[in-house]
Amino acid sequence: MLQPTPSAATAEDLAQIRRLRLLSLVEATTLLVLLLVAVPLKHSLGYASATRIMGPVHGAAFIAYAWSVITAVSGGGWSRSEIARLCFGAFVPFGGFLNAGLLRRKQAEFAPGPTVSP
Amino acid sequence: MIPYLWVKALHVACVLLFVGGLFSQAFAVAAAQRGDVGAAALVSVWDRRVTVPAMLVVWLTGAAIATEGRWFESPWLWAKLALVLALTGLHGVQSGRLRRLQRGDLLQMRMRLDHVVAFIATSVVLVALLVVLKPF
Repeated sequence: MLQPTPSAATAEDLAQIRRLRLLSLVEATTLLVLLLVAVPLKHSLGYASATRIMGPVHGAAFIAYAWSVITAVSGGGWSRSEIARLCFGAFVPFGGFLNAGLLRRKQAEFAPGPTVSP
Repeated sequence: MIPYLWVKALHVACVLLFVGGLFSQAFAVAAAQRGDVGAAALVSVWDRRVTVPAMLVVWLTGAAIATEGRWFESPWLWAKLALVLALTGLHGVQSGRLRRLQRGDLLQMRMRLDHVVAFIATSVVLVALLVVLKPF
């Protein structure tokens, strides 16, 4: 007999990983905008306001992502290499995009599916 | 443009809610370990509806106040930011633990309740001293 998994905690886990996926993309995008748009604008055209705006925006995105990683990882179900990938992804350009596949797989793992009772 | 004092008042109000949320998380984790999962569920709802939005507003209004007052050049602010980062990280750890305890996982806790509570209280006192006295 097929039964849904009626677990509020699982729904919360799922919401958490969805948030992590979104914040990972936001963090990666703001890092790219900062490095590829704001910094060249400042140094080649003298638009210092570009980094003055994008710096805090990326800072806020980074803190939100770091908090989301800690919250997700503390909820369990992550291997050390997956945790290392999440942390590494925050510091390198395109890292958040490279982690998109991992986070999509984890979301599928956390998604409550029908279970077969014995 | 919202006046500076309104932003500051909102910041202080949200700091109070955030710190209250951190304490309640710590006590709920301890209660859930002793078998009271109901407390964990209750605090998780409070966390989602109040503590997390308050934390977000603390960071946003804090950044706005620091930019407006040009405080990023002052070392005391960086010391304060380190403490707030640690408290934000603690919030993440505790909310993950609450989820695990609600799932029925048995946790090996390296942090004791009294240590966590002492850490939160000490950090809040230091933050208040740094902000008010601006010692360096």
